[in-house]
Amino acid sequence: MRGFNVLLQKEFREAWRSWKFLWIPLVFALLGMSDPLTNYYMMDILNAVGNLPEGFEMLMPELMPVDLLQASIGQFQTIGLLVLMATFVGTISKERASGMATLLYVRPISFSAYFMSKFVVMSTVGFVSILAGFAASIYYTVVLYGTFEIGSLVASFFTYFSWLLFVLAVTLMMSATFKTIVATSCAFILIFVGQIINAIVGTFWTISPWKLPVYGVQLMRGTMEMSDYWWSLVITIISTIVCIGIGTITMKRNASMTKI
Amino acid sequence: MTTLLQVTGLTKQFADKVVVDGIDFTLAENTSTALIGPNGAGKTTTLSMLTGLLKPTSGSVKVLNGDLRSNIGFLPQFPQFHPWLSALEFTEMAAKLNGVPAKKAKLAAQKTLEFVGLGNDANKKIATFSGGMKQRLGISQAIVHKPKLLLLDEPVSALDPVGRREVLDLLKGLQQETTILYSTHILNDAEEMTDQLLFLRNGELVEQGTLREVRQRFDEPNYVVEFNTEEEAQHFTNKSELLGNVKGRFVYIEIINEKPSMQELLHHLSNAPYKIRKVERQTASLEEIFMKVARKI
Repeated sequence: MRGFNVLLQKEFREAWRSWKFLWIPLVFALLGMSDPLTNYYMMDILNAVGNLPEGFEMLMPELMPVDLLQASIGQFQTIGLLVLMATFVGTISKERASGMATLLYVRPISFSAYFMSKFVVMSTVGFVSILAGFAASIYYTVVLYGTFEIGSLVASFFTYFSWLLFVLAVTLMMSATFKTIVATSCAFILIFVGQIINAIVGTFWTISPWKLPVYGVQLMRGTMEMSDYWWSLVITIISTIVCIGIGTITMKRNASMTKI
Repeated sequence: MTTLLQVTGLTKQFADKVVVDGIDFTLAENTSTALIGPNGAGKTTTLSMLTGLLKPTSGSVKVLNGDLRSNIGFLPQFPQFHPWLSALEFTEMAAKLNGVPAKKAKLAAQKTLEFVGLGNDANKKIATFSGGMKQRLGISQAIVHKPKLLLLDEPVSALDPVGRREVLDLLKGLQQETTILYSTHILNDAEEMTDQLLFLRNGELVEQGTLREVRQRFDEPNYVVEFNTEEEAQHFTNKSELLGNVKGRFVYIEIINEKPSMQELLHHLSNAPYKIRKVERQTASLEEIFMKVARKI
């Protein structure tokens, strides 16, 4: 892992100076607060907009705090992941295409150090982002609806973080393996089409990384079959490690793709 | 002189195109070598293989006493930097990645930046740098760790005359303690700082040797005599037993095996009733040699 600290510092400087630590968490915070707020004020919003027929009555469902967190996670799953992945999918491939990688690759660095330094920074941005998203969602839910049980909340948060690490590892692996355009397509297909497949025919199996975000919520509801949960978590962690391994290898193999 | 680098049968093939075709050469320690050739001759590909970025199809690059990657500094033709770093941060990072201890890296980076003339811009973001400043920064990142071998791809081609002069002087300052291999198609530069010339053409090494050796092989020396008028030039050529070509007011006389000598020529001229403006012995410039080598079949 030669040069890890130096490369980590470089990656942090980039993320910091390009405001990634600010604007991505901000996006997540906005996503997180939108569901509790819109659901709570739905009746007022509808009244204010007007055009409701005379005598119209709507039965609003009685929402539990955990329902709102689930809705927020649903937002993170689409727009949130899209933002994170789009931001980071070029992190290796663009460096190669522009030639910025050349001046680093000619030095005696280890590619696993370079890969890991990028992964650590991405994970940190991801962590801060979902922390902001969860915090915003929970804050407005607690103010408007009711409280959570802290233990299962933390468990749910880290379950979601594990899933996020998997997503980021896939993204970075694709970036190491392909050019930016192909990497983007492959990463998006794997993560989003995976979600769609999981939603349509996911009832036929119970263990998969794509199930983890929902399992985190089920932990809070207390309806989780724990063996499914643990197996999914283990599979996710293993897949993450495998992605890191493959990414490191392809990054090294593709070093000659850098523009000289 | 001790050999630093030995290249044997180096070949690179992309799909069905052979870009570098089995070249052999050695670099002695603390010498400067110019890699010359027309565009597309394979200069950059050769340098890329020496850096280790590109795997040779066949052949080998041997560095005596040590590992290649930790002993080289490389400047690409168009160096690209991370724009959000400052010059000092980038140079310091380069030093650390090459194993300079963290405590010394910053000082080394500062000194190197001063050496390349970026002392006052060390803390500015690279995004604000001009082309010339980037080239200097490129040199600083290549030399900050004091590599044994410095590989430079067209180090001065993109610079204006002033910048070129300054960068050449910088490189001359490094010649004493570094082995330099640089590619160029600007021959005046090669003429100025070169112990060895390598001529590449279509991926093949067609000429090699010191500037003197190459010059001797390709030189066709001649005398030029400039007369006052064309008639006089013509008249002199017709009357004299020396074989000369008349071009306007100039008469060119080929020298074959040091014949005729300057004395003989002057003797012929001294008796003639002409006004003579100039007598000169000409040797081929590197550019003429380059043209000959480039066209040689």
